[in-house]
Amino acid sequence: MRRITIDPITRLEGHGKINIFLDDTGAVKNVYFQVPELRGFEKFVEGRPAEEVPQIVSRICGV
Amino acid sequence: MGKLKIASYWAAACGGCDVAILDIHEKIVDVANIADIVFWPVATDFKEKDVEGYPDGYIDVTLFHGAIRNSENEHYAQLLRRKSKVLVAFGSCSMMGGIPGLANFKSRDGILSRVYLESPSTQNREGVLPQTRVEVPEGELELPYFYEDVKTLADVVDVDYFMPGCPPAPHQIWAVLQVIASGNLPPKGAVVGASDKSLCDECPRVKTEKKVKKFYRPHEIIPDPEKCLLEQGIVCMGPVTRGGCGAQCTRANMPCRGCYGPLDGVVDQGAKFVSTLASIVDADTPEEAEEIIGKIVDPAGTFYRFGLPGSLLRRARNA
Repeated sequence: MRRITIDPITRLEGHGKINIFLDDTGAVKNVYFQVPELRGFEKFVEGRPAEEVPQIVSRICGV
Repeated sequence: MGKLKIASYWAAACGGCDVAILDIHEKIVDVANIADIVFWPVATDFKEKDVEGYPDGYIDVTLFHGAIRNSENEHYAQLLRRKSKVLVAFGSCSMMGGIPGLANFKSRDGILSRVYLESPSTQNREGVLPQTRVEVPEGELELPYFYEDVKTLADVVDVDYFMPGCPPAPHQIWAVLQVIASGNLPPKGAVVGASDKSLCDECPRVKTEKKVKKFYRPHEIIPDPEKCLLEQGIVCMGPVTRGGCGAQCTRANMPCRGCYGPLDGVVDQGAKFVSTLASIVDADTPEEAEEIIGKIVDPAGTFYRFGLPGSLLRRARNA
């Protein structure tokens, strides 16, 4: 089985990777999309004052 | 001289640094006249394999944004270090850990659990967590390892220059690009694209005497638009923060949160601000001082907003 890896996915904000698996005839057998990035905003905003959160989560995506 | 070869990469970042580069507007055309971009995921379609194929030292300058959060970030840091003559830690995340560095107040397990198991908008009945390797019928898939701690770029590779800001101000980016084009590079290790004076030095607000009887949260006060925010009892990191941004936040009635990092000679920006507080709190007794200081909510998360991984503390012990 042949594999085509697209890494990194470009021209978007964030990190992504695609693996395309082809069967013997060259037809697509399966495709996997992976996001290798995690920063954990959901967790580290805990304990921050509510009024500070808009300035913190604006750094989720700056594009 | 041939055209310069420039790369720009994001590790644990938001892309705001990349957009700040584009915020030099039509001058980006001038950049294109003097430099070829050989890797820039947000704007061009070069792949990891392309970079691996470059000879060592092929790239003249790499602007590296983002913190080192996982093994992929570190892999790219090492790859781009090897391929680049000059490596710039570009932006607060790369230089000091930045906003993603707030994760050092938490543990790896706590983050993974919150994000993948406890989040109310996540359905994950099997409790699946990211694995570095997983077998699928067609083969094996890999994901980077999520580190316990967020690190700075200089924690993992040798860095030539540091450019602070969340994001760096476009006029400073343009100035730095011109220096790069001129070839007259500053001494290794220099902080570039910033002032060597504090934010207060370029903040237009009127400063008189810093004596604070009470600290306020935003809903408790309407700040005087002309006066120093800190003197009004609003926590502002200006005195301990490097200038160069043009005081964009304080001009917009928002206190400084320290994204340009500490001044020369200061190791720990947060500790320096604690020292500042000690000198401005207007108290007659230790109890009164404690009461005034006690009104500051989340002091660690505020004083180390952009720089926890690069500070002396580095992380919270019992996260």
